[in-house]
Amino acid sequence: MNKKNNTKFTIIRAIAAMAIALLVAFLLVFLSSEGATLGERFNASIAAMREMLISPLFKKSGKFSTKNFSDVLAGTIPIMFTGLATCIMFAANQFNLGAEGGIMLGAFVTAVVAIYVPIPGPLLMIVAVLCGALAVAVIMLIPAVLKAKLGVSEMVNSLMLNYVIMYFLNFLMNSYLADTSKGITQTYPFRENAQIPQMIENGSRLSWGFVVGIIMVILCWFFMYRTRWGYGIRMTGINQPFVMYSGMNVALIVILAQVLGGFLAGMGGGIEMLGRYNVYNWSALPGYGWTGITVAILAGNNPIYVPFAAFFMSYLTRGCTLMSTNANVPSQLISIIQAVIFIFFAAQQFLAGYRQKLVVKSAQEELAAKAAAGERSDR
Amino acid sequence: MSGEYAIQMKGITKVYPNGTVANQNVNLDVKKGEIHALMGENGAGKSTLMKMLFGLEQPTEGQILVNGEQVHLSSPTVAISKGIGMVHQHFMLVPSLTVAENMVLGMVPTKSGALIDFKKAVEITEEYSKKFNLEVDANAKVMDIPVGMKQKVEILKALVRGAKILILDEPTAVLTSQETTELFKELKNLKTQGYTLIFISHKLNEIMEITDRMTILRGGRSMGIYETKDVTPQEISRLMVGRDVVLKVEKDKAQPGAEVLKVRDVEYVNEWGKKMLDKVSLSVRRGEILGIAGVEGNGQKELVDMLFGFNRPNRGTIEVNGSNIIGLGQREIREKHISLVPEDRMLYGIAGTASIEENLISDRAGSKKLNNGILFNMGAIHKESEQLVKDYTVLCKNAQQAVGSLSGGNIQKVVVAREFSNDPVLIIADQPTRGIDVGATEFIRKKLVELSRSGIAVLLVSADLNEVMELSDSLIIMCGGRIAAYFEDTEDLSDELMGEYMLGIRQQSPEEIRRVCHE
Repeated sequence: MNKKNNTKFTIIRAIAAMAIALLVAFLLVFLSSEGATLGERFNASIAAMREMLISPLFKKSGKFSTKNFSDVLAGTIPIMFTGLATCIMFAANQFNLGAEGGIMLGAFVTAVVAIYVPIPGPLLMIVAVLCGALAVAVIMLIPAVLKAKLGVSEMVNSLMLNYVIMYFLNFLMNSYLADTSKGITQTYPFRENAQIPQMIENGSRLSWGFVVGIIMVILCWFFMYRTRWGYGIRMTGINQPFVMYSGMNVALIVILAQVLGGFLAGMGGGIEMLGRYNVYNWSALPGYGWTGITVAILAGNNPIYVPFAAFFMSYLTRGCTLMSTNANVPSQLISIIQAVIFIFFAAQQFLAGYRQKLVVKSAQEELAAKAAAGERSDR
Repeated sequence: MSGEYAIQMKGITKVYPNGTVANQNVNLDVKKGEIHALMGENGAGKSTLMKMLFGLEQPTEGQILVNGEQVHLSSPTVAISKGIGMVHQHFMLVPSLTVAENMVLGMVPTKSGALIDFKKAVEITEEYSKKFNLEVDANAKVMDIPVGMKQKVEILKALVRGAKILILDEPTAVLTSQETTELFKELKNLKTQGYTLIFISHKLNEIMEITDRMTILRGGRSMGIYETKDVTPQEISRLMVGRDVVLKVEKDKAQPGAEVLKVRDVEYVNEWGKKMLDKVSLSVRRGEILGIAGVEGNGQKELVDMLFGFNRPNRGTIEVNGSNIIGLGQREIREKHISLVPEDRMLYGIAGTASIEENLISDRAGSKKLNNGILFNMGAIHKESEQLVKDYTVLCKNAQQAVGSLSGGNIQKVVVAREFSNDPVLIIADQPTRGIDVGATEFIRKKLVELSRSGIAVLLVSADLNEVMELSDSLIIMCGGRIAAYFEDTEDLSDELMGEYMLGIRQQSPEEIRRVCHE
């Protein structure tokens, strides 16, 4: 199949997946809607869907809303990082699901540094985030080395690791770090100079971390497509025996991909912490890691598509929040919509019949062209 | 009329998901009780056509009639229920089970409703074995029986399941000439008992000997159905390849130089405790091609694995240019300028969805030449891959095309381009032209000769007798994990003689074999 048809197929498949997801969402909204008649409920559902799809960008008056838009952008920051992390790990065919615990640990370590380490000026900010990133990179050695050396499933290990991290951090918070003068479990506030400055002062908490995220996207793309290590990671993802036979160090690649993934997730946690909060008060896994998996799959494991996928997911989350505030629809719906999109994108065979038709058509066209060319040359 | 034909396939077209058109409007009629040959080069679409007849693939267009009744063969189970059986080229047997257990797989006889009745299984096996005059040892484990017997087990397996129509996919490919003769006797016997046989092959003499009619495929199309007695081998050859391909590779006499590969008294016991290599010693010198012939599974694979660091010998030494290579990883082995054209090119040779370019640089991605500091030097990479694509005439749109979308021959050219271009001192070519088209085969063979004449040591492992005879300067034959014979010269060797060494009927003396060490 030629490139044009392939692109066409990819786009049609993406649109179909979204259309089905939205249709399912609409049905659920309709079922949970209130109203005397079916018509009323239908109208209410339409209004709710409008709220979800349009309000993240526009005000009630129909004018573009900078505030809503910056809210959406702020929401992309953490999932951009977890998305990148997951991209790199999945590209090496390593189903490491540790970005979830990774972002929490990164946030925590960064917060601790930002509270207790007296470094002057903006240097503290950088050191704190790097400490968070490095801590997660080191933790990821656990599933990575176990996989590379002993063949233990990185999926199971990283998944369990998330909970180990969460409960361990909660233990540290409750036992040692909590500010006991406060009614809820939170740390003492960060040092002033640890806070990442905001891009817009409108309460969206859109920090310059967003720009760092975009820079990381570009760096990651260069790493994956323009360096020998990224090449090794991608080839390992496609065919591991081939990489071994070619003389590359498979074990090292397997470890590298997961450590880098950990680094990115940790960095995301740190930036989220210093850009959005002034104390650390997470007591449960934040969910950014799970969303990051969706982001990576939507982006086809290519870093360059991560910001778009992250924006899409953030937009959807924001839309659902607004819908639940303004239209009396449970916000949990977002999980279901996410799941439906996830299923349709992850399902390799989705629309495979249609793809086969395109392939057949394309092959027949080529044969016809060849036959025509043959006739011409015969004459 | 419908009573006359066992199989009718009408207007069959098959397009694979990767866009390959394997069959195009193919018709196939097979009369009841005949032996019908399906002929064609590798890649002509024979296997695809038969996979559709056995329900392993579904046709894109066209219909299939069995005994005049239109059928939809959605799976092998359906095909079997219609009386179609298939003997695969690569046997579908469970090695660790006995012959009888393999025979009854999926239709196990039981006693008291739950327990497997092993005795009954043996009885069934022996009954069928006698009835069809196909001699097998019902109690032997499949991994211990010779290839020829495995094939009989495969045939019996199909018969036990009630097959009246048997598809034999290149049944002689793994057999020695003696075993082939025996197989033909058995097939003729089946024919007289009213069975219909479809015989896939590209060996002309076999077809002439055993079949009644034939269908010839070329490039996915049918070239017609012929009575075997009405066509000459020359005509068949013309129909099959469209031109008279003479795969004679011109080569000067070898001028062997210094010893490059030195293998001495190597032994290897595999994970099930079976001795796969027994005191194997050989040398390959600069500028010569040493061929290894033998029926597959006689230690060739284990030897190659060992030379490329996938296995360690239990005993013995392996040296390349005087230094030990046992225990080295693939990277270190490649650093010694050893190249391998792997037997399984899809598993080891390529990363299918990656581009041709990415596949060409896999062994040199870290080299100074292709890197600018930490970044790839994309200019150098493009230049290198375009040069290789050109030098090795890889048929593609450009080097960015996915390698998996190429034909088998072009995929192998990509593998070969990479392996031959990294300044090797020793090339191990394991089945370098298996299953690829004539053009690519010719190209790769010529290249191997050219490289050897430029001073590279070549170890050629091939199950294709023609290939080893044609390319090798000298030749060893392996049988049961040992070297059975060494021939300094391949010119006066006959197939029959080789067959006897391959089968273990003959065995040279240790002194004669030791000559391969050139000491």
